[in-house]
Amino acid sequence: MDRAHIDESSKSSAGKPIRCRAAVARKAGEPLVMEEVIVAPPKFEEVRIRIICTSLCHTDVTYLKLKDPSACFPRILGHEAVGVVESVGEGVTEFHKGDTVIPIFMSECAECRDCKSKKSNLCSKFPFEISPWLHDGTSRFTDLKGQTLYHFMFVSSFVEYTVVHVANVTKLDSPIPPNRACLLSCGVSTGVGAAWRSANVEEGSTVAIFGLGSIGLAVAEGARLCGAAKIIGIDLNPEKFEIAKGFGITDFVNSRGCGDKRVSQIINEMTSGGADYCFECAGKAFLVEEAYACCRKGWGKTIVIGLDKPDSKLTFSSLEVLSQGKTIMGSTFGGLKPKSDIPIIIKRYMDEELELDKFVTHEVSFEDINKAFDLLLEGKSIRCVIWMDK
Amino acid sequence: MDKTTKISSKSTSGKPIRCRAAVARKAGEPLVIEEVIVAPPQTGEVRVKIICTSLCYSDVTFLNLKDPPASFPRILGHEAVGVIESVGEGVSEFVEGDMVIPIFMSECGECTDCKSKKSNLCSKFPFKISPWLHDGTSRFTDLKGETIYHFLFVSSFTEYTVVHIANVTKVDSAIPPNRACLLSCGVSTGVGAAWKSANVEAGSTVAIFGLGSIGLAVAEGARLCGAAKIIGVDINPEKFETAKAFGVTDFVDSRSTGNKRVSQIINDMTDGGADYCFECVGRAFLVEEAFASSRKGWGKTIVIGVDQPGSQLKFNSFDVLHFGKTISGSLFGGLKPKTDIQTLIKRYMDKELELDKFVTHEVGFADINKAFDLLIGGKSLRCVIWMDK
Repeated sequence: MDRAHIDESSKSSAGKPIRCRAAVARKAGEPLVMEEVIVAPPKFEEVRIRIICTSLCHTDVTYLKLKDPSACFPRILGHEAVGVVESVGEGVTEFHKGDTVIPIFMSECAECRDCKSKKSNLCSKFPFEISPWLHDGTSRFTDLKGQTLYHFMFVSSFVEYTVVHVANVTKLDSPIPPNRACLLSCGVSTGVGAAWRSANVEEGSTVAIFGLGSIGLAVAEGARLCGAAKIIGIDLNPEKFEIAKGFGITDFVNSRGCGDKRVSQIINEMTSGGADYCFECAGKAFLVEEAYACCRKGWGKTIVIGLDKPDSKLTFSSLEVLSQGKTIMGSTFGGLKPKSDIPIIIKRYMDEELELDKFVTHEVSFEDINKAFDLLLEGKSIRCVIWMDK
Repeated sequence: MDKTTKISSKSTSGKPIRCRAAVARKAGEPLVIEEVIVAPPQTGEVRVKIICTSLCYSDVTFLNLKDPPASFPRILGHEAVGVIESVGEGVSEFVEGDMVIPIFMSECGECTDCKSKKSNLCSKFPFKISPWLHDGTSRFTDLKGETIYHFLFVSSFTEYTVVHIANVTKVDSAIPPNRACLLSCGVSTGVGAAWKSANVEAGSTVAIFGLGSIGLAVAEGARLCGAAKIIGVDINPEKFETAKAFGVTDFVDSRSTGNKRVSQIINDMTDGGADYCFECVGRAFLVEEAFASSRKGWGKTIVIGVDQPGSQLKFNSFDVLHFGKTISGSLFGGLKPKTDIQTLIKRYMDKELELDKFVTHEVGFADINKAFDLLIGGKSLRCVIWMDK
């Protein structure tokens, strides 16, 4: 299939629909279909972005497989990316054509009470949701038959051009390579932020991380940067332990090798009473409860990061909540405000404190995007970067 | 019955004391005033002559409970003030004649928790509803020689009690006893929950579920912290008038909300939810309602009410992950007994913290069962029981 021939140099595409390639999720559980789509021009307060590269996150996998009732097909998935602004809609002053930007599923309108408060990153003007539309309730994508294609997480990055609201875009002023920048669009920021911002891990602390996928490893990286003294990684796959060392993990618990003991019991023993911070990064209620059981009484914090099934419930003993001095909280996008905090994270990468290279284990071209899914599902990759122009 | 032995010439020091106690002998039945023998304090303990004690709902709960951790016969009571009659070996912190408040929360001063600012949960003597003192034995026997159980390491429904020094704090004798005893549990728990555990900011919105003594103490604490809006939720609208004096500014009658949930009403009243929600009854569904009433982004839900053993709190995993809310509990208001009670006393003496309004009734020791009737009948906040009357 030919690549999209868009001549951006003479502004000929601005204001017009663009025909380009997309990897469309047409059916639950089936590989994405590479096809041409039409991308409408950006509307009021929107920008159209030419994607440079995008990376696969487990949430994309979850929503590819989802059948009912949250499932929406046909859909353009993908939400971790970096690109260049091709054109801007009316009322846009923050961005210009040619700006390098990161699109982000977390909105930041900068006007609502939450955006103005230091305590919250949950924009109330454009609340977090896994919506099939942009904020105005419509789509900018159609296939060649004229059928609407759904958006994903306000981003939709498995396509050569996407349209995003300005609340979901952060400018990149830094020469950070694209295959590092895209990571900050979701996974790494979520994990690093959870340790740094949401939990505010103190130097010298003990941290326990349940689930050593990309998010768990990003939490470890964040905890390492915060100066945590002991970072315990828990996973059912001991093959992950060797890699995890490179992310700051100091101790390991194989959750399938505990015998009669519960994981929380082992961690309580290892830490003489519990970890200061426990992060659940797998999205399983029983693991959140296990994490709660092994955070230290008196001041332990349990932070929920993993996304579970929609109707999943967390259960705690009322008397334990009352009397153990522990806190339960969640963290969306690591508690980070996209527009102000991502530049800080980028700076820490450019200053060679935050390490991003180790997250990228594979790189493929756009037409091989389904290989990225296979690698992730087989547990062989951390982040696979998908390049549009290869 | 005769009055107690006077402490004049250390004549009782080192010897058992025979005195009156109000003993819980059977679940659900009135306390029996009878004479008991109180052994001298052992190592690290003090014997305290109780001046007055106040009734807290936890005493009622453990009078009525049939199964463990209920134990009979028992000397209940855990909110009190008294004077040191004698000290055991190794005690240098207190001397005979000191005015003290005994407290169910221990503070050994040595363990990691006691040394940390972040925790008030002493790990050397953890919080427990124990029938004993810390060494696993009792200092009380009845006249037949049968052991009588302790309660919450305090046992104040008696003219003399024995307490470990980790459970005692000295108080300035300038504070009237019928105000000092309140700081031994209920008022400290509520005020502390707002001040210490939640750290309520000036200008905040607070919602309090349950307007008993604890809920009203939370309101008083929130008022002192400068909360702008304090919403009280209760099933009994008669409590609303009283609650105004404690700083409650708005009311929700949880039995008159029609089709709407209480959380929906609070979300409407607060434009999205309260900054801090306190559950002060001890019911799982109210904790869940409180969580739903707290504001997305930063809302804190604090559990203070003591529920039945086995009771469980259930939350949607999605809500916990994505709403930016926090859930935590508060025992004794997050206060460190020995240091923080001094701060509360000072705030009372400086006329900032108001304690008078908590005491609605006072009775003599012989009428202690009236205090129970008043509380169970919803007619009192704190009833003070004077030993020497």
